[in-house]
Amino acid sequence: MARKIDTVTVEVVRNLLMSIAEETYGIIVRSAYSTNMKERRDVCTAVIDPDGNSVAQVESLAALLGSMLSVVPNIYEKFGRENVKPGDMFIANDPYHGGGNHLPDIVIAAPSFVDGKLVGWIANIAHHSDIGGKVPGSTSGDADSLFQEGIRIPVIRIRENDAILPSVMDLLLDNTRVPQEREGDLTAQMSANLIGVQRIQEAYARYGDVLIDCMSELVTYSERRVRAVVATLPDGEYSFTDYVDGCGDKYPDPLPIKVKVTIAGDDLTVDFTGTAAQIKAPINVPYPCTKAAVFFSVKALMGDDIPANEGINRAIRIIAPKGCIVNPTEPSPIGAQIDCQQRIPDAIFGALAPVFPDAVVTAGNGACTTTILAGDGAIGTDSVFIFHEVIAGGGGASRRADGLSGVQVNMTNTSTMPIEATEMEFTKILARKYELKTDTGGAGEMRGGLGIERELEVLQDDVRYTGLGDRHKFHPWGLAGGCEGSSGAFYRVDAGDGSVTRMGHKTTSLPLKKGDVIRVVTPGAGGYGDPKKRPAEKVLRDVMEGKVSLQAAKEQYGVVILTDGINYSVDEQATAALR
Amino acid sequence: MAYMIGVDVGGTFTDFSVFNQETGELFNYKDSSTPADPSRAIVKGVQDVLAIKQAGPETVSYLAHGTTVGTNALIEKKGVRLGLITTKGFKDLMEIGTQRRPSLYDLQAQKPYPLVPPGLNCTVTERIRYDGSIETPLDEEETRQVVRYLKAQGVAAIAVCTLFSFINPAHEERIGEIIAEEFPEAYVTLSSRLAPEFREFSRMSTTVMNSYLGPVMERYVNNFRHSIEAIGIGVEPYVTQSNGSIISIKETIDCPIKTARSGPSAGVIAAAYIGRQCEADKIITFDMGGTSADISLIEHYTPQVSNERTVEGYPARIPMINIITIGAGGGSIARIDDGGALKVGPQSAGATPGPACYMRGGENPCVTDANIVLGKLNQQKILGGRMDVDIELARQAIREKICAKSDLDLDRAANGIITVVNSNMVRAIRSVSVEKGYDVREFSLMAFGGAGPLHACEVAKELGMREVLIPPHPGTLCSLGLLLADTKFDLSRTKVMNGEAGNLAAINEQFHNMVEQGTALLDKEGVPAERRYFEYFVDMRYQRQNFEICIPVPAGEMTAETLAQAVADFHAEHKRSYGYCKESAVVQFVSYRVSAVGVIDKPDLQPEALRPEAPIPAPIETRRVLFQGCTEYVEAPVYRREEFVPGQSIPGPCICEQMDTTLVVPAGWTIHVDGYHNLKIKDEVK
Repeated sequence: MARKIDTVTVEVVRNLLMSIAEETYGIIVRSAYSTNMKERRDVCTAVIDPDGNSVAQVESLAALLGSMLSVVPNIYEKFGRENVKPGDMFIANDPYHGGGNHLPDIVIAAPSFVDGKLVGWIANIAHHSDIGGKVPGSTSGDADSLFQEGIRIPVIRIRENDAILPSVMDLLLDNTRVPQEREGDLTAQMSANLIGVQRIQEAYARYGDVLIDCMSELVTYSERRVRAVVATLPDGEYSFTDYVDGCGDKYPDPLPIKVKVTIAGDDLTVDFTGTAAQIKAPINVPYPCTKAAVFFSVKALMGDDIPANEGINRAIRIIAPKGCIVNPTEPSPIGAQIDCQQRIPDAIFGALAPVFPDAVVTAGNGACTTTILAGDGAIGTDSVFIFHEVIAGGGGASRRADGLSGVQVNMTNTSTMPIEATEMEFTKILARKYELKTDTGGAGEMRGGLGIERELEVLQDDVRYTGLGDRHKFHPWGLAGGCEGSSGAFYRVDAGDGSVTRMGHKTTSLPLKKGDVIRVVTPGAGGYGDPKKRPAEKVLRDVMEGKVSLQAAKEQYGVVILTDGINYSVDEQATAALR
Repeated sequence: MAYMIGVDVGGTFTDFSVFNQETGELFNYKDSSTPADPSRAIVKGVQDVLAIKQAGPETVSYLAHGTTVGTNALIEKKGVRLGLITTKGFKDLMEIGTQRRPSLYDLQAQKPYPLVPPGLNCTVTERIRYDGSIETPLDEEETRQVVRYLKAQGVAAIAVCTLFSFINPAHEERIGEIIAEEFPEAYVTLSSRLAPEFREFSRMSTTVMNSYLGPVMERYVNNFRHSIEAIGIGVEPYVTQSNGSIISIKETIDCPIKTARSGPSAGVIAAAYIGRQCEADKIITFDMGGTSADISLIEHYTPQVSNERTVEGYPARIPMINIITIGAGGGSIARIDDGGALKVGPQSAGATPGPACYMRGGENPCVTDANIVLGKLNQQKILGGRMDVDIELARQAIREKICAKSDLDLDRAANGIITVVNSNMVRAIRSVSVEKGYDVREFSLMAFGGAGPLHACEVAKELGMREVLIPPHPGTLCSLGLLLADTKFDLSRTKVMNGEAGNLAAINEQFHNMVEQGTALLDKEGVPAERRYFEYFVDMRYQRQNFEICIPVPAGEMTAETLAQAVADFHAEHKRSYGYCKESAVVQFVSYRVSAVGVIDKPDLQPEALRPEAPIPAPIETRRVLFQGCTEYVEAPVYRREEFVPGQSIPGPCICEQMDTTLVVPAGWTIHVDGYHNLKIKDEVK
């Protein structure tokens, strides 16, 4: 497309649109009701141009990008662009029909009109703690159909002529276990959109049609940025296969995620041919989420400052055969898709490691390790509680740095809920432990980040536990001679006899009794480079920090540490002998 | 004679504002800073000022300074070796933080520097529950062992932060006693005393930072007192805090973290004062310097305070004036990126090599270079003639780094650099105003700092703001602020209760406790009873939300009536901030705050008589200037600001130069000089 406007105005408008997206994001995070939004910030907002291209998105989490890119085109397809009216607002959650990533992610989009002319959209998506389905929290580890995962909302109106459609709201609230919380969250999402609509109108009043031209230019700008990087890369095919653990007892076998990245001039193709077929278990990745995962990987490797918008997608061609696990057919279940989606960046980073030796990181914890606890007990006017948290793990190491410990990786970057906030709201939960776990980071010249060990005790009977994770079998890989990180695991410590039972990585709705403890260990990350080349003083520090045990220091790093329990030092001679 | 002296210690200069209480004269002085020991420049400067005024040290009635000792120790990682004691099972909270990685897409971004050295994050067996009940009693013997271990490890300070200590401090208090028995020389911070509010990570990081700074501050303070006493000054010196108030220097030792972001806060206090002179009760402050710009919002002459901010990557749960800082200043570098976009900052050329025009080898075009090319800054000498500049180097840098990589010619490139940096300012100003529900067009923009007045009118215009205010000495506003602050202690408690009349007794109990504590602190400061007052606040939310809004409530006993009003105020504030409210929903009271204020004597500045009939001073030259939104240069008169007379009006376009800054006034705006020598610049275009 020919450049219509000057680079200076585009930069000014980019600043303005980002501030609109950020303002609406702030409204949701600060005024929502459910933990997912207010503390974990499982929320994304975007400004979208009149043609439906996402133009400016907040950098909250990558997992939610996909649906922001497709919601408006889906509205146009279903209703016709000419039938979108001022005062409308649309809602959706069904990834097969214009919605989010899985059913708990509800997207709401609002058009902004000036004098009858559509000048842009504001949209947001947020993770709701429960939207019905077979288990509290909606996401199970064993659903075999989308119909078990909650109420499906195809793209429909939730507001018309500037008013909420009460019958739609009633239907939604009747299909959740926690209606008070749902109503609060939906109100926050819609209020944010109302502000966003007004801000876009103000922007149009200031810039007129130049605003819309700038939106187009921002999209082509991002595409140019990606292509400029791709053009500098050596042409060729780069392949990598990583594995998802399978899914529960029904699918014990590993599921390959296979990618072939082809670079030809400034064209980039990511081909998933050869990836596992879809399964009747909830880890299928709907195609918009696959797109989001590729988008994330490309932006992370090629320029973290490239504006996140549709332009990045335009620079990438994706081949994902229909019916494979990264492009499933309706109504394949998708509730826990994130555990599989997380493997896509791992595979792309693995494939492109030779091309981006400095930017790439080893495999991190590669999961979205989730704990859901649900039971009777009033909070406000809701009669049950649903506690939902995601626990971080090891971050990947790189040529230049150790991996970060206890961080969210790839598609997710949600906050933890403070323990004090958790226990004040969920009074029947008591945190017993929340620490980094020694020796979970893969050994390497640059050490992989550590996973977390977290223990929650339940203080009443009849609490249901759902635990979802991955990389419980397939360890996170290292690079350049670095060792793999350790895998994750779920345990239950029985209140009666203290016995410890290991549980599956897709444990669903397991009944717990008072005093039972759930122990979650999250995966670490792979190391980078030969562990024997890690400077001894760094290993010494690792040991003093409790990140590496004395034994691992000796066996994996060849560093012998002397200690009396207070002081630590390197035994230079013994170390030299081992190295 | 009696002199009040305010001292602002900057990285390059130490500024002094001196007020003679008998003559009403306000005098400014400036000298080079002494970063190795900032007190040296202060002592020398005070002596110089007294010499100039031919006054003895006994004439100093008041001395306040802003110290960057705490700020710098955090930035340069020069705090002390410290240990942490927390609840067993939770030793890694400081490293895990919020679990969020620092950047979503930058895979190499690192977590903040660890303040607690390896192995010194210790735990003790104990556990308190959400309601304050003791689930597991403190293991005192184990605690004793931990303290001995930390002593053997050679720590200078200990931070204590256990779960739910904000609601029941018994275990922390006992740990503090055991430290006092085993290791009395250690500097100790208990989280339940410093910041008794919920959310363990932010409380812990505040506590750790405080202990990290404690002994450093103690050393500085003692050194400073001795130096001041040695030159015969008998008054107790004051230090600024991040909340814009001052406390006696001895109090600083207990809470050094409260000074961590005090640097820009004094400027905001002065801005509020100038706002009163100008009768402008809604102000956005815009303090732009060489590398960054600080922006804040003042309503009804009161700066906005936020109760949690991030300091060097860690959350700090202390009240601070809500100032946002962006990396945009005169030294910000402009470039064309790989996608062809013009970007400005956040990279800065700093003082060395500085902008290309400084002739110090800088090759990158900066905002200052663009201002020189456009004629906004003096094209031969800047900083009141103290520094030579070379316009050709500025032009060359813009041509090579911008024009050659885009389709912009020199003038459009230079103007574009200003447009882009201004749009960064606009975004920051929107974030403190529009995004908080304020109509920015109702506000005046008060510009200060070396570069603020250069950009102010054009930034204001972009936002639809109609008035710009420039104080008499925009470069030394912070030291003036030090003469204008009061003493203030911010106290808080957390206890979640529904905002209902049935809870009035429990609510008032929280306030009583804090007033008692505040009274004791003001006693220690020696504030007489008639100079005290208390401000009350409640942090509220709708039941099930988790971010609170801080609502001011009347001081004194809360009644059913004032409670109902507070709840109504919360609904209104929620609507303003988030666009909606739910009057039928249950409102929770979460945290309670009391500010105990001691009023300090302030300069009484009197306006001069207006002389509108005085002739407009002759311009020192005319210069060709290219303004924003223009394609042609216009001839603009250049005035010396000092020659303006109160009551005068001077139409734009024009440029006003003074020692510490340059003011740019576009066509359509008019300068009005008031009796205090403030400039009110109004957009006269209807």
